[in-house]
Amino acid sequence: MRPEEFIADRLGKYMIYILLEITLGALLLATGTQPGVLLLVLSATVLAAALMQTAEYLRIRARLKELSAVFDGLDQKVLFAEVAPPGGDLYERYLSDFLCRSGKAMIGKVSDAQAANREYREYIESWVHEIKAPITAARLISRQLDGEVRRKLAAELSQIEAHVERALYYARTENPERDFVIRRTDLSRLAAQALQAHRSLLIQCGVRVETDLAECEVRTDEKWTVFILGQLLQNAARYRSETPVVTISARPVGDRVQLTVSDNGIGIPAHELPRVCDRGFTGSNGRLRGGSTGMGLYLSKKISDFLELELAVSSKEGEGTSVALTFPACASVPAGNLTES
Amino acid sequence: MQTIMIIEDEPDIREELAALLTGEGYRAVAVTDFSDILGQAEAERPDLILLDILLPGINGLTLCTQLRKTVQTPIIFVTSRDSAMDELRGLSLGGDDYITKPYDMLVLLARIRAVLRRSDGGEPADAIEACGLKLSLTKGVVSSQGKTVELSRNELQILAYLMRHAGEIVSRTDLIDVLWDHQIYIDDNTLSVNVTRLRSKLAELGLPDCIKTRRGLGYQL
Repeated sequence: MRPEEFIADRLGKYMIYILLEITLGALLLATGTQPGVLLLVLSATVLAAALMQTAEYLRIRARLKELSAVFDGLDQKVLFAEVAPPGGDLYERYLSDFLCRSGKAMIGKVSDAQAANREYREYIESWVHEIKAPITAARLISRQLDGEVRRKLAAELSQIEAHVERALYYARTENPERDFVIRRTDLSRLAAQALQAHRSLLIQCGVRVETDLAECEVRTDEKWTVFILGQLLQNAARYRSETPVVTISARPVGDRVQLTVSDNGIGIPAHELPRVCDRGFTGSNGRLRGGSTGMGLYLSKKISDFLELELAVSSKEGEGTSVALTFPACASVPAGNLTES
Repeated sequence: MQTIMIIEDEPDIREELAALLTGEGYRAVAVTDFSDILGQAEAERPDLILLDILLPGINGLTLCTQLRKTVQTPIIFVTSRDSAMDELRGLSLGGDDYITKPYDMLVLLARIRAVLRRSDGGEPADAIEACGLKLSLTKGVVSSQGKTVELSRNELQILAYLMRHAGEIVSRTDLIDVLWDHQIYIDDNTLSVNVTRLRSKLAELGLPDCIKTRRGLGYQL
């Protein structure tokens, strides 16, 4: 609080006070008080008032400083009213009582909402695990069908799986540190896992995949990275051209490693490029083709941030899209569950 | 015949899995009574156990620890629990592999074969013979009547699959599937190119029409 703020806040009071002093002066003058005495009386009262105001200003300023230090040091700002040091004048004590009660109500609501959110996430996670059993059974049963029908059914089942997986990872990104294992791992292994997971979609779409990942080690979480790669592969298959080719390659950039997934697909219009990682953004391509959720790149970006990967999308309409994932240098690893195995 | 024990509480999956494994030439034993799994495992002495983690009344991880005390059978976890922590725990408790549901059947079978091979200590057959051709998988060469040609990685896998299914019609999509299993991610056109190259190499051996094209169906050796 600056002095001028304090004065401006009390300007009305001061006006009335000055008016009072003038009236007092006039009254004393009219009743025959000597001008010298009058001057003495007036300056004494004004000085006393000014001193009181200065003391008041200093008191309030010190109190605000104390409170602001407490507030700044607080991790959970909603708990402020609870931990604020007691004191101050009667008015402040009443006010803080209100604040405490409102704070309590809010904390109750927040923790209710958090509990509901956690329960919901846990339900989603267990639901995902449960739905996997019938999908597995359907996969096994479809084996008895003849070639073409089986393959079509397998592709549909993979679609279901891909949607289910996104739901699971969406629920998990709320608390990623719960399931986060950073290990030294080989990029070609990660790419092979992602390709296997989405092979029926890629084969169905007639995608040819070229890999150039000779002996590239990174430190990252395998599952989350494979999930990101899976999203990129699904996009490449979805927005493909006539003869789709996907290239997965890696190269060192300084002491970091950059993995690039590029396709020769229909590409993304330049003006939509900045928004492709937004939640629910489907773009003109997505609207045209349908079935696009706008979640794949959004989740990929979010997970990349947790894993401290840099995700950069570049694209030319009609020529293809390329997504580069830059892994942190092996020496510097994001904070999380560090597990050597 | 190798015996595979299935410990899985979902009846649909259990039965289908048993049928799949039987079809692949294994003897499948499906556990339906989960009260004394240890006893059943000791009685059956399987060559491999497929173990689910969430079982009625018992946790697969606990079961794995108990099994490890008495039998040395390789164990593959097959579960819908897919967190990295679960996987690490499964493998550290003595599991030989960890596969998450829903799995691809070809992937499952490939990993079963890999684990069985490791526990046998035996290598897969190096040479395949069919239709007067002799294929060496490790050297990557095919020979016939004293003549030998070298094959590329793609050609080798295509020919190996055709020779293993000699006489049968092999669809193009099956071939693509097999190649993807070997980390060769090709499309239909590339397959045609590879088959053409393979044919010309076989022609050098004096067998130009060895691989027949069955229009609309696939290839046949």
